[in-house]
Amino acid sequence: MTTRRRVLAAAAGALAAVSLLAACGQDASGGADDGATGTVTYFTFSAAPDHLKDLDAIKAEFEKQNPGITVQVQTAAYDDYFTKLQTAIAGGTAPDTFELNYENFVTYARAGALLPLDERAKADQDYDANRLYPKAREAFQFKGKLYAVPSTFSDVVLFYNKKLFDAAGVAHPTADWTWADERAAAEKLTNKAKGVYGDYQPVTFHEFYKALAQNGGSFLSEDGKKATFNDAKGLEAAQWLLSKPGTVQPTVAEIGGKADYDTALFTSGKLAMWHNGIWQISKLAGTAGLDFDIVTEPGNTRKANAVFMNATAVSAKTKKATAAWKWARFLGSSQKAVETRLGSNWELPAVSDQAAFDSYLKKTPPANRKAVFDALADIALPPVLDAQQSKMQDIVTQALEKAASGQATPQQALDDAAAAVTALIK
Amino acid sequence: MSRKILRYLALTLGAVAMLGPFAWMLITSLTGDPQLARVDAPLLPDPPTIEPYGRLGEAFPFWRFAANSVGVAVVSTLLQLFTSATAAYAFSRLRFRGSGAVFVLYLATMMIPMQVIIVPLFIEMRHLGLVDSYAGLLLPTIVSSFGVFMLRQAFLALPMELDEAAYVDGAGHLRVFAQVLLPLVAPALATFAVFAFMSSWNAFLWPLVIAQTEAHMTLPVGLSLLQGRYSTAWNVVMAGSTMSVLPILALYVFAQRYVVRGITFTGIKS
Amino acid sequence: MTEPRTATTAAPTARANAPTPRVRRSGAARRRLRTAVAAAGFLAPSLLLLLGFWIGPMLGTAWVSLQDWNLIGVPTFVGLDNYTELLGDAEFHAALGHTLAYLAGYLPLVLVCGLAVALLLDAKLPAMTLYRATFFLPVISSWVAVSLLWKWLLNPADGLVNRILGALGVPGPGWWTDPDWAMPSVVLASVWKDVGFVAVILLAGLQAIPRDLLEAAALDGAGWWRKLRSITLPMISPSLFFVTVISLINGFQVFDQVWVMTEGGPGGASSVVVEQIVNNAFSYGRVGYASAMSIVLFAVILLVTLAQLRLQRRWVHYE
Repeated sequence: MTTRRRVLAAAAGALAAVSLLAACGQDASGGADDGATGTVTYFTFSAAPDHLKDLDAIKAEFEKQNPGITVQVQTAAYDDYFTKLQTAIAGGTAPDTFELNYENFVTYARAGALLPLDERAKADQDYDANRLYPKAREAFQFKGKLYAVPSTFSDVVLFYNKKLFDAAGVAHPTADWTWADERAAAEKLTNKAKGVYGDYQPVTFHEFYKALAQNGGSFLSEDGKKATFNDAKGLEAAQWLLSKPGTVQPTVAEIGGKADYDTALFTSGKLAMWHNGIWQISKLAGTAGLDFDIVTEPGNTRKANAVFMNATAVSAKTKKATAAWKWARFLGSSQKAVETRLGSNWELPAVSDQAAFDSYLKKTPPANRKAVFDALADIALPPVLDAQQSKMQDIVTQALEKAASGQATPQQALDDAAAAVTALIK
Repeated sequence: MSRKILRYLALTLGAVAMLGPFAWMLITSLTGDPQLARVDAPLLPDPPTIEPYGRLGEAFPFWRFAANSVGVAVVSTLLQLFTSATAAYAFSRLRFRGSGAVFVLYLATMMIPMQVIIVPLFIEMRHLGLVDSYAGLLLPTIVSSFGVFMLRQAFLALPMELDEAAYVDGAGHLRVFAQVLLPLVAPALATFAVFAFMSSWNAFLWPLVIAQTEAHMTLPVGLSLLQGRYSTAWNVVMAGSTMSVLPILALYVFAQRYVVRGITFTGIKS
Repeated sequence: MTEPRTATTAAPTARANAPTPRVRRSGAARRRLRTAVAAAGFLAPSLLLLLGFWIGPMLGTAWVSLQDWNLIGVPTFVGLDNYTELLGDAEFHAALGHTLAYLAGYLPLVLVCGLAVALLLDAKLPAMTLYRATFFLPVISSWVAVSLLWKWLLNPADGLVNRILGALGVPGPGWWTDPDWAMPSVVLASVWKDVGFVAVILLAGLQAIPRDLLEAAALDGAGWWRKLRSITLPMISPSLFFVTVISLINGFQVFDQVWVMTEGGPGGASSVVVEQIVNNAFSYGRVGYASAMSIVLFAVILLVTLAQLRLQRRWVHYE
């Protein structure tokens, strides 16, 4: 008897849980407002662990300029960020404002999780759209509407160790270099007896889509319905990446799972060329005895540079829309935010503010700091598949791994991956 | 005699291998940034530095998070001991209809990955108003099917004659449970207490999503903040890991006092 | 024999709810009722918590498995679509295969090694607490630390293991960089980390064996192997049964070590079920599909566990 009653109780409990679940996502009290006061929550992946104080400084200035609004910052590591954000949104407790990167932005905009910002922008006299970097503003539009305020960007350049180049008698890389130049130099610079490697470029989706663009190829067909990265140009791009480990670059086995091995190689003066993001500059500039410079990455048939962009979105469910908008705008374009980011070598502010960048450009090393901005002339943004972005990236990275570990030929691996990506598009 | 030597030899060999990760953690945590940044650096820190430990507090309020972890783990362990021991008694000592089925129901809760459970659980917590609270942090962790199962096995190893003798003396279930049987499963209780503490102390995913403000965050959540998107200060991470291993180790050594050969009941056995 | 008294204080709520018998019942029936009431009381704390915070959400997961949902939008009911898709999902089937392969390697190794360590540690000798603590160190260390160490030990180029193999004239494999050796690498690291866990549980069981039993056997001239077979193993069979069931349940849900050691690679060669669940739920925007995978995994584990519960009658000896 007791068992039966207990089973009933279990069923009742379960029913309650299920109805709770069904009820979620239905209370649509979006974009409500209680004036520009109160506490605004902000969730970010880019502050911890190195820039928490810088974010605090921006927050303090914002609160000073906007009496009545307090910002409550929540941080998470990038790897955990989206798990926490998605669970919070699913549970109806989304933060008022949160950081999104370009690749993930569309998914959130399409799902209706973001507040459209055009009207807020129009009503705000302090907002100057032209102050934001135009390509970033474009990137965070969905169906022609602005859904997030661009905040930062970084690009990928070629770092090189001047001492190693000079010692090997190889001319320093220039912006006119092609893959062939890089290859020839890398071979001359590699000296395994001394543990010196000529080049380092990860074999991943992000490097592949960019190499493909540098080779004049296209990831998707023009109508966006089919993956086309398995053509001759794609194969050449994949082979370009795959040809490095074991010849001019340490293999996965040689790296042996050591964390941040490429960084350690470069800071130890054992790596001549390194494809990496400008976020490495501050660390490298502080490394004693390291003489390095940067240049835009070599292309094959054309130049193409990877750019990472982040923005601040406002939750569609926020009850502090005005205050949230103000904070998002402040993070993106305020003088304080721009100065703080540049001064602390955080990611670069996504603004068109030449005066602010001037002082940034004067700082050395690297001497050729302007390469950071030269790269923006030929941007190759990653292809974006609405809801299936991460899946697509994993498919491509896995295909490259299969080719690298000999489970498939590069052509086979690319063909399989292209078929899988095409199936994702539907 | 030689048998004793063999035993020590085998144990020492094993122990050396087992020391690996801890030694590695400790060594990394005592290595300075410049040495860590070099591929050709010697294995041992030269010179050793405790500076990474000082940097623990930079990314998050270390002591606040540690206090939360201690509080949550202690409360959770005590309650897990209570809820597990009582249930284990029912499953091992009381014959009731559906006992087997209910026990399987208990086991079933261990068979679904936590990663998918957190979504409905979080939604439930939100409706209960327990997001970002100690109650929300604790409630799902104060019951342990693992503990119920483990203690049930320990109870089952005790002869029924013990209970019967107590009943003859006029004892009720509560007294048989608390005064007769519980002391006899002390080794299992002590062992489970270590596991219960460890699972609460190391829990990451649930605290990550349920705690929204620093007031309710725990050490593993704080340590995760040390991992940057592009690079990680491994010496600081390992300093934090070393610090967080020590309390469990201390508890384990303390619990060993109770994992000793218990009273022999052969006399009672018929 | 006196009748057991009802636990009056143990189950106040359950007792209040129980109907007061008007008619005089037979002694046996009353005893059954009292036992049931006591059982309800003893089970109530854990059962209520389990129902509220585990079984409820599990049913929630079952419900989600019928949805197409990315967590950030509105869920769409799709019936059994997620399950029919699973039938044809080669990646999922491969992951299930890898998980079984992991179990096949992990389970026997961890049980045998754990038992051996427990037997070694079960001695009244000096410094045993120190040894016990040492064997427990890997259990409490984080997987991040353990995996970095093991990737270093199993480094195909110059790792310690391959150096030793090389000295013995055996060419070392590519370990976690080789698709065929990635899973064995994970198994090795897992066994090594969990040996202490198994040993600690078995040790608690070993401590409960009455010394005089073993001494009596020794007097009868029983050797080491006979004592192990006919006394030790049967006596600790409840503990052995417990670690087997637990290790199997946990082994099916292997994830952390794969995630930090190989990320399922190279090229998906060590991808496991829970890794696919996590990816689909939080990365690919398919929490409904991930939930369906979880339910399937749950069903598999439940079946295996039920079989174990049935089989235990053959080899587990309770008092």
